[in-house]
Amino acid sequence: MPETIGYQQVCAMLNAAAGQIRKNHEMLSQLDSTVGDGDHGTTMLRAMEAVSKTVSENPASDLKALFSAIGWAVMSCDGGSTGPLLGSFFMGMSDGVAGRTELDYRGVVLVFDAGIAKLQRQSRAQVGDKTMMDAFLPALAALKSADSARGIKAALEEAAGAAVKGAEATRDMKARFGRARNLGDRVLGHADPGAVSVSLIFKGFSEGL
Amino acid sequence: MKKFINDPKDLTRELLEGFAIAHGDAIAIKSEKIVCRAKPKPANKVAIVTLGGAGHEPALSGFVGPGMLDYSVVGDIFAAPGPPKVLEALRLANRPAGILFVVLNHAGDVMSANMAMEMAAKEGIPVKMLLTHEDIAPGANAPAEDRRGLVGCIPLCKIAGAAAEVGKSLDEVYALAERFNKNMATLAVAMKTATHPGSGLAIFDLADDEMEIGMGQHGEAGTGPSKILTADQTAELMLSRLVVAVKAKAGDRLLLLINGSGATTLMEMYIVLRGCKKYLDAKGISIAAVRCGEFLTVQEMAGFQMCAAKLDDEMLACWTAPCNTPALTVA
Repeated sequence: MPETIGYQQVCAMLNAAAGQIRKNHEMLSQLDSTVGDGDHGTTMLRAMEAVSKTVSENPASDLKALFSAIGWAVMSCDGGSTGPLLGSFFMGMSDGVAGRTELDYRGVVLVFDAGIAKLQRQSRAQVGDKTMMDAFLPALAALKSADSARGIKAALEEAAGAAVKGAEATRDMKARFGRARNLGDRVLGHADPGAVSVSLIFKGFSEGL
Repeated sequence: MKKFINDPKDLTRELLEGFAIAHGDAIAIKSEKIVCRAKPKPANKVAIVTLGGAGHEPALSGFVGPGMLDYSVVGDIFAAPGPPKVLEALRLANRPAGILFVVLNHAGDVMSANMAMEMAAKEGIPVKMLLTHEDIAPGANAPAEDRRGLVGCIPLCKIAGAAAEVGKSLDEVYALAERFNKNMATLAVAMKTATHPGSGLAIFDLADDEMEIGMGQHGEAGTGPSKILTADQTAELMLSRLVVAVKAKAGDRLLLLINGSGATTLMEMYIVLRGCKKYLDAKGISIAAVRCGEFLTVQEMAGFQMCAAKLDDEMLACWTAPCNTPALTVA
């Protein structure tokens, strides 16, 4: 029988992701002060606190409803484009759950795939544009190409590793989207705070399981 | 940071509370971050709705009132409000006559607006979205998505608001606003940085003897720093680009707006305006409508935005029609 994860494990993943942001929000703001207006850590903290709060208050053990409630809560956090982008990722994950109550490796891939597909409807950014996509897209690719026999946790660890590498690579990029785009060469040498945040979230996902 | 504030996380809420005390006769705050008229416009007239981050006072909520906006959705400092809040405002404004939804081209604003529009469409709310992107810093012919929405949204909302007030249909109001949108251009210049009131950090750096043309309202880079020029030289350098962008020629009538960014004095703005008039006189272009003051600020940033628009009769009539808002009154 293939390994699956259910509602409780997904909640643990989400809480661990929030924990990663809680631990690192000051570093994220610091990073943003060189390429943006210095509030990214605060914005991410607000968004991920909304995730934890929704997890603890969500009434039924329904994955689809959980992700949808999280998406709405995250979008309700003011914060430029971060709220809508991250919120649509979770809304997309809700679509990806479809009717499932348990996710096997394939189900996990489908959920993440749907989340990122929804995100891509809001942003045309690709790998190389110095945005959160530089972490999201490699993470998804690593998740998809992981050896399913090694289990879901191992696949998420590979995704997290790819996200960290992707975020690291944004140091050498010029921005093509968002406010950092307008700073031209001034952003070279600094990692994109959005990509670093996403890598922390994936790190949390893999640790929470 | 030297600012008269309390806890930075309460900035938006507290500034709106003060705003409501100062202008309680004209506006009201609904569900925390939505500003609406104290006395709503009848539902048989088109509503004008906009959104944007706080920290740019009096924009945008200062323009809510008879003759201009019906609703303004406020975000955090320099940050767009989330889509659910925007959708809430569209629901409040929902009416058979429809809604003109004016959005300034900034990544977060556009994203929030697009998502709210998607949800509003599902609910059958009749709304048309208009995106302003009149910044010509990246070049007048640069792709629309690279050009930011600056202070030009304010005369645009004034003109659209006047058309809505006299009972024009949504299609008519949209067509007029879009015509104005296509005929306006704005260029900004900055001399001294502003402090982000939330983080306490400077939003950009400029040397004491430098200015930067094209600097955006969040410190986005412009065309690069240059040595400070005189008021006349600055007026001519900026206006010559604007005149080309709006294709104004002898005999044309312009609307000219000098919008202080926060720390530039009215004295300086008047001197710049005088330089503009001199330049336009020489070209045989007349100033048919003019405003000089603070409409959309960037905290204590020194600098200004210069907005020029080529007017036709209908736009001019709408510009001179009465309006009564906290930040702009035409008697």
